[in-house]
Amino acid sequence: MRVGVPSAGAVLPALFWLVLVLIILLPCLAFLVLAVSPRLFDQGNSYFTLHYLGSVFTGQTAVAITNSLWVSAVAAAIGVVIGFPLAWVTARTDVPLRGPITASMWLVLLLPSWLPSLGWVRLVQVDGVMYRVGLDLPFVTHAILGPFGVVLVLGIRNVPFAFLAITAALAGLGQEFEDAARVHGASRLEAIRVVAPIIAPAIWSAIAIGFAEAVSDFGVAATLAYPANFSLGTYQLYAAINNFPPSFPTAASMAWLLVASVGIPLALQARALRGRSYAVLSGRSRQIVRRRLTVRGKAIALGAIGFFLLIALGVPALGAVSGSLLADYGGSFTLTTANYSALFQSSALIAPVVRSLEYGAITATFTVVLGYIAARFLTRTKTRATRFLDFLLLAAVAVPSVIFAAGYIMAYNLPFLSHIGINLYQTVGLLIIAYAASSLPTNARVLVGSVSQLQASLQDSARVHGAGPVIAWLRGVAPLISRPLLFAWLLTFTAVFLELPISQLLYAPSQPPVSVAIEDNLSNYHFGVGTAQSVFAVLLALVIVLCVLGAYRLLAPRGWRRIGASHA
Amino acid sequence: MPKIRRARAALAATTLAIAGVVGGVEAAAGSAASQPTLVVYSAQGYDHAMVAAFTKATGIPTKLDDNSTGPLLTQIEASKNNPNWGLLWVDGDTAFAGLDQQHLLMRGFEPSVSWDALGKQVVPTDKSYTPTGVTLMAAMVYDSTKVPSPPTSWQQLLSSQWKGDVGMNDPSQSGPTFPFIAGMMNYLGSEAAGKSYFSKLKSNGLVVNPTNGPTLQALSNGQIKLALVQSSAGIGAAIGDKSLKVKYLNPATLLPSCIGIDAKAPAAVQQEAEKFIEYVLSPAGQKVMQSGDPTGDSLYYPVIDGVKPLPALPSLAGVKTQRIDPYKWGGLEASINTWFDSNIK
Repeated sequence: MRVGVPSAGAVLPALFWLVLVLIILLPCLAFLVLAVSPRLFDQGNSYFTLHYLGSVFTGQTAVAITNSLWVSAVAAAIGVVIGFPLAWVTARTDVPLRGPITASMWLVLLLPSWLPSLGWVRLVQVDGVMYRVGLDLPFVTHAILGPFGVVLVLGIRNVPFAFLAITAALAGLGQEFEDAARVHGASRLEAIRVVAPIIAPAIWSAIAIGFAEAVSDFGVAATLAYPANFSLGTYQLYAAINNFPPSFPTAASMAWLLVASVGIPLALQARALRGRSYAVLSGRSRQIVRRRLTVRGKAIALGAIGFFLLIALGVPALGAVSGSLLADYGGSFTLTTANYSALFQSSALIAPVVRSLEYGAITATFTVVLGYIAARFLTRTKTRATRFLDFLLLAAVAVPSVIFAAGYIMAYNLPFLSHIGINLYQTVGLLIIAYAASSLPTNARVLVGSVSQLQASLQDSARVHGAGPVIAWLRGVAPLISRPLLFAWLLTFTAVFLELPISQLLYAPSQPPVSVAIEDNLSNYHFGVGTAQSVFAVLLALVIVLCVLGAYRLLAPRGWRRIGASHA
Repeated sequence: MPKIRRARAALAATTLAIAGVVGGVEAAAGSAASQPTLVVYSAQGYDHAMVAAFTKATGIPTKLDDNSTGPLLTQIEASKNNPNWGLLWVDGDTAFAGLDQQHLLMRGFEPSVSWDALGKQVVPTDKSYTPTGVTLMAAMVYDSTKVPSPPTSWQQLLSSQWKGDVGMNDPSQSGPTFPFIAGMMNYLGSEAAGKSYFSKLKSNGLVVNPTNGPTLQALSNGQIKLALVQSSAGIGAAIGDKSLKVKYLNPATLLPSCIGIDAKAPAAVQQEAEKFIEYVLSPAGQKVMQSGDPTGDSLYYPVIDGVKPLPALPSLAGVKTQRIDPYKWGGLEASINTWFDSNIK
């Protein structure tokens, strides 16, 4: 008997695959096929050509793709190297401020990637903040405004993915494994070495998602890498689309390479996890006994975490503050609230904010349901279908959003659809489906770590006691993964709330989401107001995250909160 | 049990939400199919105000896709086998020339207005699009307290006096910057002569920033002394900082804001689009254009006889302007931008 999925016979898997084909595979292929057959969608003269695919292996494009590959690999490694100890300290010790630490990780995650880049640029640029406070360090400027800075910013962005995946896995890992190691004479460090392999799925998941997120990132590529003459694949792809007339076939060819590149971490993951079971979360899992740190230990742990958060949050805050609170384009230290006054006097922002909140909530709910089902499929015995699903979901993460959105136009704006009265392009419905499709891969990846630990006995025991499949799932499984599901919901909500590329190409006319409204100001020279809007939107998203977490703490049954808590 | 009831409620809410999404799709599909609506694709700062005023004045329901120029053109190109737009309204005529060459614009429409001298320069012969205003590219912005005697010609920017002091935008990221580069090539007589000019400018310490905002910021923080930006951006900055001044070097290249009609739109939508253009160029429409974005896109030079520019705009008396052929230079945009990024940035 299966675990976790309410039984619906063979219908549910078929329906699930149909949904995946319609919302991910079809739009992606509709765009990617342009690389070899541009005429299919009226984008060129050839029904078959290898010209565009060949062109990406030459010149600047080849350099940019190579840069993307090594930068993404290093960034993924940085995410795990920093995220693992942070997660361990938060989940397994009595370090103070565990709640705020977890909340801070969410804040790092929900910041748009261009904000940290902007902060670093303002900090270290010639005549920037660093020089004005008397630190004349040109080598720092040179390092940050180049490959090192790009890897640093992308690596820091990957830390929350590793933190959340590993925290969820550690929280579901009962104390008995560490106890067993300790009973047999292992030191604390050796006990960690025993336990670490058990959460390998979470670690590999973090590496894979980190690589895919970095390889598809555009914010850092445009704001930090490109101005420093360090070109990444996503920027070259953007340039191919943004030039007029755009070369969709060239962009599609580059996207093929980015998609293929996620095969590297997947192959490593498959090789590392082959033939092993990581199901450790059962009805007999013991509650964690947090290690009591000495005062010195707490000080060191908090100092390290504080340093990380200073870099991860302080620098972006600098970028936001300098852009929104300084009157003269951030060129001086004269503070003004004029931009915020303008922001709150304008009613034009309110409707987009409310709209994006609705879009985020609907999308997150839809995506978490699909994400959970996808995670269940991914953690089953490996078959060709699950391996394909694994690749499809990770490949979809690596597809830059602008490609995803353009693919939606190609696939769902076909003339024959209009002839039969179906006009989906530029409707709220298609926008939300595209949001969900782009969020699903990351969502499923975040859930895989926790779902892989569920043992079949959990639902079996409820069925034995007479519960139907749905009730058995709700009683036996939902309590154990309610927290990861909640985090996955928040992750999608925040990502959708500030999402830009898909919003720009697919939003319903006269109903702009908040990101489009912000971009409207930034691109029309109202830089201060636009940045103030960004800050306001990020803070609003954070407040909602805190409210949802608070509501969960107040309303969820005690047992739901106890299992899976990282800072209980 | 309460726990189960809560979970059931959550499941029901999820189902309702998904049903709501699907229902929304169906509703939108149904309404779109029954009555085509005029959809305006626009990157202008005053477009919200204009669409609202037009609907109020004519009763014609109009929807607005307000985006940067790049995403709007991407939408048009991606959907060209089944377009959804009725009007495109952005700065720069090179994109319109490209769309015209692909037969994506309705030709032959000219509103019944009296063009002024600027307007006459930028109306296309095949009437495939309509100019609605003009900005200049590039305007030179400087701080008069730090630069009492600014340069008076493009050649002076190459002198040692201004070494390391000149900043401009990157054409790959700033739409209005390619017309400036093409304008210099046009003025100097050839693409090669223009490339030589920018290479010398680079040797003299040219600072390239992504867009108008960062270039003006570099001026503000003292990294550069002369910022070459779009005139509306420079004048907008000067409104906020009285020490900033805007000066045009001869010749300044005209950058018309243009509006064009989708060649494949239903006839009813095309007629509504024509009325929209007539309204934009009417006295009432010009008032909306000049008040809708007073520190941004409203700072344009009118193309209609009898409409005066806003007081903040410097006089064009004594300023020599030039128009670049959008059909010639539009086709060279990708290669020239690539050259600039490889050799100048």
